[in-house]
Amino acid sequence: MNLSVAILLLPLFGFVLCFALGKTQNDRVGWLAATTTGLGLVLSVVETLHFAPHELTLKWFNVNNFTFSFILRTDHATLLMLLLVHFVALLIQIFSIEYLKSDPASYRYFGFIQLFLLAMLGIVLAGNLLQLYFFWELVGLCSYLLIGFWYQKPRAVWAAKKAFLLNRIGDAGFLLGIFCVYQQFQTTDFSSFTASNQLTTVGGLLLFCGCLGKSAQWPLASWLPDAMEGPTPASALIHAATMVAAGIFLLFRIYPLLSPDALIVIALVGAFTAVWAAYYAVYQTDIKKLLAYSTVSQLGLMVLGVGVGAPQAAMFHLCTHAFFKAGLFLGAGSVIHSTHSQDSTQMGGLAKTLPVTFGSYVVCAGALAGVPLFSGFLSKDIILAAAFYWAGGQPIWTYLIPILALASVGLTAFYMTKQVKMIFFGTFRGQISAHPIAESGWLVKIPLVALATLSTSFWFSFNPINPDSNWVMPLLGGQATASAHWVAVVSTVVAFVGAFAGWKFDYQRFVNPRMNFSDVFFNHFLPQYTKFTARFFYQTDLKIIDRAVAYFAIGSVVLAHILAWFDRHVIDGLARFGAWAAGAAGGITRSFQNGRVQSYFVVSLVGLVLIILLFLI
Amino acid sequence: MNILSLLIFLPLFGAALVLFLPASQTKYFRLITVVFCGLELLISALAYRQFNPANPSFQLLEQADWITLSLGSLGAVSIDYLLGIDGISLPLVLLTGVVMLVGAVSSWQINHRPRAYFCLYLLLTASIMGCFVALDFFLFFLFFEFMLLPMYFLIGLWGGPRREYAAIKFFIYTLIGSILILIVMIALYLSAFDPYASLQAQSIVHTFDLRYLADGHNYLPDSLLNGLRPQQLLGIDARLCLFLVLFAGFAIKLPVVPFHTWLPDAHVEAPTPVSVVLAGVLLKIGGYGFIRIAYNIFPDAAAEYADFLGALGTLSIVYGGFNALAQQDFKKMIAYSSVSHMGFVLLGVASLTPEGLNGAVYQMVSHGVLSALLFLVSGVLYDRTKDRQIDNYRGLAQPMPTYAAITAIGFFASLGLPGFSGFIGELFTLLGGFQSDFLPKWITVVATLGIILAATYFLWTLQRMFFGPLWSQKTDISLLTDLTTREKLMLYPLVALTLVLGLFPNLIFDLSSATIGEFLKKF
Repeated sequence: MNLSVAILLLPLFGFVLCFALGKTQNDRVGWLAATTTGLGLVLSVVETLHFAPHELTLKWFNVNNFTFSFILRTDHATLLMLLLVHFVALLIQIFSIEYLKSDPASYRYFGFIQLFLLAMLGIVLAGNLLQLYFFWELVGLCSYLLIGFWYQKPRAVWAAKKAFLLNRIGDAGFLLGIFCVYQQFQTTDFSSFTASNQLTTVGGLLLFCGCLGKSAQWPLASWLPDAMEGPTPASALIHAATMVAAGIFLLFRIYPLLSPDALIVIALVGAFTAVWAAYYAVYQTDIKKLLAYSTVSQLGLMVLGVGVGAPQAAMFHLCTHAFFKAGLFLGAGSVIHSTHSQDSTQMGGLAKTLPVTFGSYVVCAGALAGVPLFSGFLSKDIILAAAFYWAGGQPIWTYLIPILALASVGLTAFYMTKQVKMIFFGTFRGQISAHPIAESGWLVKIPLVALATLSTSFWFSFNPINPDSNWVMPLLGGQATASAHWVAVVSTVVAFVGAFAGWKFDYQRFVNPRMNFSDVFFNHFLPQYTKFTARFFYQTDLKIIDRAVAYFAIGSVVLAHILAWFDRHVIDGLARFGAWAAGAAGGITRSFQNGRVQSYFVVSLVGLVLIILLFLI
Repeated sequence: MNILSLLIFLPLFGAALVLFLPASQTKYFRLITVVFCGLELLISALAYRQFNPANPSFQLLEQADWITLSLGSLGAVSIDYLLGIDGISLPLVLLTGVVMLVGAVSSWQINHRPRAYFCLYLLLTASIMGCFVALDFFLFFLFFEFMLLPMYFLIGLWGGPRREYAAIKFFIYTLIGSILILIVMIALYLSAFDPYASLQAQSIVHTFDLRYLADGHNYLPDSLLNGLRPQQLLGIDARLCLFLVLFAGFAIKLPVVPFHTWLPDAHVEAPTPVSVVLAGVLLKIGGYGFIRIAYNIFPDAAAEYADFLGALGTLSIVYGGFNALAQQDFKKMIAYSSVSHMGFVLLGVASLTPEGLNGAVYQMVSHGVLSALLFLVSGVLYDRTKDRQIDNYRGLAQPMPTYAAITAIGFFASLGLPGFSGFIGELFTLLGGFQSDFLPKWITVVATLGIILAATYFLWTLQRMFFGPLWSQKTDISLLTDLTTREKLMLYPLVALTLVLGLFPNLIFDLSSATIGEFLKKF
């Protein structure tokens, strides 16, 4: 059997296993799931070692001579994603075993994670857009199931629904985009996409709608912060490291099709999202929500990277981001697990009680802020350099885009420093409970340390402070153009200024989350308006259509009564008149036959006179 | 006896058996019904085995002279007992087999006048099957009309509180549709002739054979409906006019907005098995009528009005979707979602593309399975509590986990999650609409709103009824027990079926695509 097929089917096996054994072996299911994923990782490594780009085509179905195929595509981007997804998923499942130890339905959790992996690997291996859409919707389902995992919590279920619906809005556009591709090229296979035949701008932007939803770009961004109602490790896996990055992966795949105009819009959306989300992150006190906004902001940066013509840089940032953001989320999970709180105003001084968490968190935060020697520095810098380089060849206003990106770098350093200070430094501000706060077991520590280690730049670049010597981009076909070194310097300075400000400013000034118009729109205005429209249409049904039918029915009955009256009085009347007239005529003639000879004589006399008169005249 | 005749006469035999069994044997009525419906499914499976999907024309033909009348100067009329199936009717015959069996199992606990109920149910089975296999317009019309009788009584006698109102509304709406169809049938009869019989008899022999009616050469040169010298009727071309009349007749059945308001009422009042049959197969006769009769006989008019019809499809999708969102009654919500989903069928048919038409046939099958599933699901709750108000429940997932899981699967399958059949149906009807040369793009763009709305009303219902802390307004919580074995026996196969169809769409497409390819050559 082909390795790709095995890799794709393993999580399906894991999913079935989890649900089959779950009710009896709830405590052990986590290990089974992790083992399955570990096996998948081994297979991915084997596939990498025997690497040859190829496509495996399986016929799916025919419609009138047109074959829809199921294509498993393996190229460098696929392999990179395979390794990344498996590795992060493995660590997160190990973490989850400890995190969800006391949950009676943890088998459901691991089952959903396996199902998610199936869908995510399906996206990564997809060889055409239709197939990608197939799995794209499935990851949406898994996201729904995992956000709403604690379904007794109304807020969690609400957030799950919101996430699914906002994604659906984006996906409706995505579907239309696929139709555009299909109509223009009669195929949606990636292998047929070349730069020589571009899609229309409208088509490209419709495809981008998918990315708007899945990668939480403005204006469809606001589901991601709400999605933090789910279990933290699940957030780490799907709402930080992998699923939300699928939008970037999609852009990477369709990049050859995108027209320059579409790319400018994409870059603008990315740049705006990066700053917009970073601004809201500054005011978050919920440690997970801050990370969620930060994820939105970083995804904006990646989208910007694609928009400015550096899709490989975006993919590179996707990789580094997956590790450090997963590390941050798991760190947050460890803090939550230990303190039973998500509110950073109720924390402080945890560096001493949670040293491992603290260490890994700081490393990952450094990577996120773009500090040299950490991985985020490399990838963020390449995107910035590409943006500046790109703006050089465009109208002058396009410099707005790299400048917005730079602003987001400063804000990122600011809020991460602020958050680290609030959680780990100073004195503890929360309720002191009977159980002292302590580090969790090794199942929690190992993933933290591993992810922190992978957040350093040594793994990604031969020269840890030179972004151009990274090995990821050349693999993906990115040009090794020497980026401007001044960009690296400037961005580092901006990051340090932001970090300094974050350390110095009193956090009390940043504890009231700003009103977010996107939230107002999607939480209040749109549902209200939709409900209003729904009621209006229903009233149309009741008041107009049904009433018209009712009046028609009443009218028919009234008409029936009129006809009945007519029948009784006019037609029957005529009939009765006829009868009466006949009777009357009979009565008159009968009156002649009265048996008296005298009257017969009179009648005959009158008759005789009449005849004579007739002859005379 | 041929297979297709067996499909019609076997249930009639079953009905007779129920009718003449002594009253002491009441408990066997339901068993007989289930057995005969099972046999129906077996026979349709046999028809599937004998069917050659590569052959686009009618197969398993059966023909017998039925009525031949000489009408003097009007020529002769010949009405045949003519049965046959092709790639469009076979999937629907199979669907009927499945849904009628599920409905029969679901009728198990009908205790009120069981003899009448099961007898009518078997009559209904026979007439639905007859509709899908009849190839003579007269014969089709006969079955189409005959279907009303059992349906009227099944709603009117075994329904909910407002059953009389719902039954009469259903009856009158459908009857008006029938009259419209009848008008066109008479016009067709006067215009068309049977070429072979006429040649043999050396005089005009009029026919109702749909195969002859579909061929423009078989129309008398000066008749109302000849395609060469258009005649006027009500100020427009007679063919266009009568196409619209015929379309309206079937549009009531599908139903298309604004002819749909009989449907929610009928569903809310009908007992669960009747709802299952009504949504599962009866609505499909509307869609089948479009393809087999209206489009086949008037291809010119269908192409002429394609944009109008496509827009009506989109209207149904969006209007039905919004209406579903406004519902407080669980079953009424599902009924309106049916209106929305059948809108996709009209959109696909109107597109006149292979994708759209195959998608429409597929969507009919898929919706048949899914609506049966969803109406059963609503029946499960109603059986326990006699209350279907969405707002009267919270957190049903806790006492009824399997039920909640099945409902969630049904909802996700209906809202078009890939892997389930709803996805393929919606994808291909929309793709067809988008690809079509007859439809402007905005029609499909607006129709995609339907898939967002579907997600909204289904997930909102799921959130309100099944999740959150357990709570119930009127009902004793101890009544909320999980699925029984009989319920699982109905629901699990339907879930499996929608999954299988979703993963292997070629099960339907292989049957339909050759016929549809041939059909589209007319346009």
